[in-house]
Amino acid sequence: MSDLDRAIEQLRACRLIPESQVRELCYKARELLIEEGNVVSVDAPVTICGDIHGQFHDLMELFRVGGDVPDTNYLFMGDFVDRGFYSLESFLLLLCLKVRYPDRITLIRGNHESRQITTVYGFYDECIRKYGSANVWRYCCEVFDYLALGAIVLGASSELEPTNTGPANVPIEDSELETEVLDSSGHVTMSTYRPRRRAFSNASTDSRNISPPRDIAAAPGQTGVPSRTGAPGTGASGDGNGSAANSRTGAVLCVHGGLSPLIDSVDKIRLIDRKQEVPHEGAMCDLLWSDPDEIEGWGLSPRGAGFLFGGDIVKQFNHLNGLSLVARAHQLVMEGYKEMFDGGIVTVWSAPNYCYRCGNVAAILELGEDASGGGTVARSNGEYGRSNGIMSDSRVVSPGRRYRVFEAAAQDTRGMPAKKPVADYFL
Amino acid sequence: MALEVQPPDGRKRVKVYELRDNDWFDRGTGFCTGQICEEEPRIFVESEDLPNRMLLETRITKDDGYQKQQETLIVWTERNGTDMALSFQEAEGCAVIWDFVNTVQQHLLSLASVDDALSDDLDHYQSVVLPAPELGTLPEIEQIVRNASMTQVGRDSLSKLIIRDDYIAKLVPLVSMAEDLESLIDLHRLCNIMKSLILLNDNTIIETVVSDHVILGVVGALEYDPEFPTHKANHRQYLADKSRYKEVVPIKDALIRRKIRSTWRLQYLKDVVLARILDDPTFSVLNSLIFFNQMEIVNHIQANGPFLRELFSVFDPRNLDQKRKDDAVQFLHQCAGIAKNLQVPSRTQLFANFISHGLFAVIAFAVKHVNPAMRTTGIDILVALLDHDPVMMRSYMLKAVNEKKTPLTDTLIDLLHVETDLGVKNQLADAIKVLLDPQIPMQDPLGRAGPDYFKLRTNSLLSDAFVQQHFDESSKRLFQPLKQLANRATLNDLTFQEVTLYTHLVDILTFFVRQHLFRTRNSIQSESLAPRVAQLLRVPQKHLKLAALKFFRTLISLQDTFYQALMTHNNTFELILDIVYETMPRDNLLNSACLELFEFIKRENIKPFILHVVEKYREKLENIVYVDTFQSLILRYDQMQGYGAEVDSTLFGHDEPTDPASPPRKMYISGQRWQGARELDPAEEDYFNTSDDEDEIKWAQNDGPSNGSASPAIKPLVDYPDDDDEDIMDTKAEGADQPPMASQTETPDDVPASILTQSPPERLSEKRRREEEDDDELIKLTAGPKRRSSTSSNSSSSLMNRRSSANKNASPDVKNNVTSVAPKRIAINFGSTARQPSDDDTTSMETTSESSEESRDKSQGNEGG
Repeated sequence: MSDLDRAIEQLRACRLIPESQVRELCYKARELLIEEGNVVSVDAPVTICGDIHGQFHDLMELFRVGGDVPDTNYLFMGDFVDRGFYSLESFLLLLCLKVRYPDRITLIRGNHESRQITTVYGFYDECIRKYGSANVWRYCCEVFDYLALGAIVLGASSELEPTNTGPANVPIEDSELETEVLDSSGHVTMSTYRPRRRAFSNASTDSRNISPPRDIAAAPGQTGVPSRTGAPGTGASGDGNGSAANSRTGAVLCVHGGLSPLIDSVDKIRLIDRKQEVPHEGAMCDLLWSDPDEIEGWGLSPRGAGFLFGGDIVKQFNHLNGLSLVARAHQLVMEGYKEMFDGGIVTVWSAPNYCYRCGNVAAILELGEDASGGGTVARSNGEYGRSNGIMSDSRVVSPGRRYRVFEAAAQDTRGMPAKKPVADYFL
Repeated sequence: MALEVQPPDGRKRVKVYELRDNDWFDRGTGFCTGQICEEEPRIFVESEDLPNRMLLETRITKDDGYQKQQETLIVWTERNGTDMALSFQEAEGCAVIWDFVNTVQQHLLSLASVDDALSDDLDHYQSVVLPAPELGTLPEIEQIVRNASMTQVGRDSLSKLIIRDDYIAKLVPLVSMAEDLESLIDLHRLCNIMKSLILLNDNTIIETVVSDHVILGVVGALEYDPEFPTHKANHRQYLADKSRYKEVVPIKDALIRRKIRSTWRLQYLKDVVLARILDDPTFSVLNSLIFFNQMEIVNHIQANGPFLRELFSVFDPRNLDQKRKDDAVQFLHQCAGIAKNLQVPSRTQLFANFISHGLFAVIAFAVKHVNPAMRTTGIDILVALLDHDPVMMRSYMLKAVNEKKTPLTDTLIDLLHVETDLGVKNQLADAIKVLLDPQIPMQDPLGRAGPDYFKLRTNSLLSDAFVQQHFDESSKRLFQPLKQLANRATLNDLTFQEVTLYTHLVDILTFFVRQHLFRTRNSIQSESLAPRVAQLLRVPQKHLKLAALKFFRTLISLQDTFYQALMTHNNTFELILDIVYETMPRDNLLNSACLELFEFIKRENIKPFILHVVEKYREKLENIVYVDTFQSLILRYDQMQGYGAEVDSTLFGHDEPTDPASPPRKMYISGQRWQGARELDPAEEDYFNTSDDEDEIKWAQNDGPSNGSASPAIKPLVDYPDDDDEDIMDTKAEGADQPPMASQTETPDDVPASILTQSPPERLSEKRRREEEDDDELIKLTAGPKRRSSTSSNSSSSLMNRRSSANKNASPDVKNNVTSVAPKRIAINFGSTARQPSDDDTTSMETTSESSEESRDKSQGNEGG
């Protein structure tokens, strides 16, 4: 068993590793992360996770629900630290896993992965408390500077492989399973279908009303509460030629916050020198701080950093970049996930009962691998001259999305969450 | 009883939900009204489709637990136990109904308390009565306490009762009684009661809780949290452990000793016992109690001459008790840590007293300690002093130089060169940066008064030449290892320690160049440091390469002829292009950093570099086609030489339209929002050229072509007077195609953290709004509006001022109205009062977040910027 495996064991048990080991770990992680682009390419299948915020026991629950590393590929969209009482254990474990299985786990930067924010929201204090000095905090912050700013998921299937559990799984003729919501024990609680379509048909009869059943804040008339079995396929337009459609699944962009008015194409993100403290403004800041909102265009963010952006922005951005979906985190959603703008963007939140008191559930988003072999629609991935709307005349199909919703870790599996008290005192 | 409540007018469109089998069942959509019918306040929802059908009719009573969630949701539980929810279309409508409900309930409550005598309800709050504390009455006590906690009136009278009867002390014996009986249910009840009492959020109660005679009983009860029935905490064991309190020099004052103890307990309560359940008000009460205790403790210590003398005498070389010395350092460290939270005058006094008793000797002792942890502690104390008043620290240092003593900087520099502990090394580097930085702004906000004030403080002590001389000598000493690189045959055999040292040195050098390029010129010139850094572009260690690259990137952004010559008179760009080539197939951090550098040159149209790079490395550039940056550079060059753009336009035309007449292609994509973003009206431009004092001072020293344009922060807003013709073209091209990038890359790099941090202290304040989704807020920075205004000045970017909740109202009209220069950042108010200690999750006072942010920025932020 290597030192690294031992460290993973130890951290899984929520026990810290010595400072010297942290230093070494951070050093290795830095070597690894420096090789990653600002936007990392990730192949489906992958499980996308949102904010963790130092809720170590819930991270363990997440792995239980989503499968363990390295059996499941993970993409964490930042905010590993702050607020919860186990930021160190959570972040160091994720970092260990990253170093141990670099291709199985992707970590991107959240707005909390910053010196300034962590001094205010708890991570700095936690480091001082648990290691007696700010050294570990410095090492971690150094790693933060190297974290990628986003990821792009390629090769996701447009159709979900049906799960074996749950009642609502009789395949519907001429429809493909588009979204599915599962509870933490793997039972399907909701699914939606969309009609299969001809290879290049532009018919868009998707029923995308998949706001979660508990989302009752929706304005009247906008969305109905979806039926549990999902809308049966309307308009039998397809002739079973689904596999061709599969191959046209667009890529999924994952960032912590959202879009930036300064970034009109994914390739532009590449032109950022990301090794720096999260700035207070500019493209890098926006990617980590912005929020989608029911507005048109761009708006001021009440957070004081980043922007609000509306559905038109998302639509345009996705279209221009051949994306089918933007996955992001950054905002607490009581149901764990929330799709907006006709499924053009989704918020994934993975810290259940946030701050140990918010009462929310958490979710992770699974994107399946496209088994048809058709591959993903080519997205310009840096190749010169390919970024200009090659998708303009064809419609990008969104990937099949499986949400696994889970609650805070059972109380028996963890001690009472509390901060570690200081050892000795003079005053 | 009369209800004098005005029912709301108007009908609010709403959806009615009912919870059935854990699912919200939609009862329909209708219009909601609040009415008072026959003296009874009611909420009605009339169906939208069938106007005569009522979807909901409910009576508001004083103890229904109505809750408002998000902006548009009201939920409550009906008398029969059904959970109901109203989801409003408009936040406004929700607010109106919510106000109605609130007013009604308050009104009912006040009536209820008047009617007290007539009512035999338990929930008459005017005078809460608690039964005598016995195990048998615990259920009743728990119930009463819980009910009373629901309303402000109830809380007030309960608090009074608890204090008057010294009730907590009477509950305490029950804990051990229940434990003896192993009655878990009673213990859970006691726990709930204690929790509720603490959360009553009353200063006196909390002070009682941490007093000697009840604390163990209270935390004893809190060990049995019904939420964690299988766990038992061991708070008592922890708090009873007297050995945790260390005393280097005994504090004799009994009151202060008690304060120290109760502060310790309060912190434990806050961090451990109550960490999960604290609500905001209680959190602030705890914090302010801690704050005032600490203030008293620190004041006592710094005013206690005999105590201080004894404390510092511990470090007498004749004293051989090492352990005691170490403890004394820890003690001082803790004092310094607490001092951070105090107000500036108290802190100043404390540090002044420490220094006069010999604090510097203690720091010197600690930083040379064999134990790295002690070295860290020592430097921490130093950093606390630097954060507190860097100018003071620098004058002490210069005074030492003047008196021909070894200055602290020399000690630190020597240590930096040999230090092997990375954490300590890091801190040393930070401390050196601050100590050698001659342009530290005043901490005191009044320091903004301007350069005169600044001069008064430093120059009255020592002449500028002297400062320069000291800086040069220190730099020479500091960068010695870098200089020695010249004699090194290969850089492929650098040791780990060397790599770390060079990384720090290059980082410090970058910081110096950016902070005060004139002072740094001497040493860069005389020690010929630039070629050494260039050497480092070739090392195999990528992060060191990156540091070296950052140095040159900074030189470029300064737009200073001296540094430009430095870069063009040798092969720096060749080395950088080599990195591009090396990393080219891969999309990695190093590659992006190089691209960003060339993008910057292109965007800023920095002629000397464009000329140099294209003339010398044209062929290399031509071969890099995976991004259009390099082709654009060549294009720029050709334009400068007066060649037409036609030659290349076919090749790159689609991305960089060069014909001003033809509409840029991407207009429909980004152009509609951002076109013209760079065009400012003259007034606005003036504003940017004059607004920022810091910049002015700093950049006024620049002997570059023009003052204003030399500041990278305002660069893109300024026209270059000498190349109008090309500019027209450039602006168009970029306006259409590049504007996002135009301001984008510059911000991360070009408003170096140093500019931000060198400006007067910024505040990072936030509201402690844990339960809300938009939790994190970054505070408006002094430098905030620069870029944003340039982008938002565009009328069509619009809607900058609207938050979503009411967005459905947003009509095109609204949009068009917002054409003014909306400052991008919303200033977020500090908590209600300046000294409100509860502002956020941060366990510290607002002063901490303020000062620590500052220091953090100062010490670390710069690495990145």
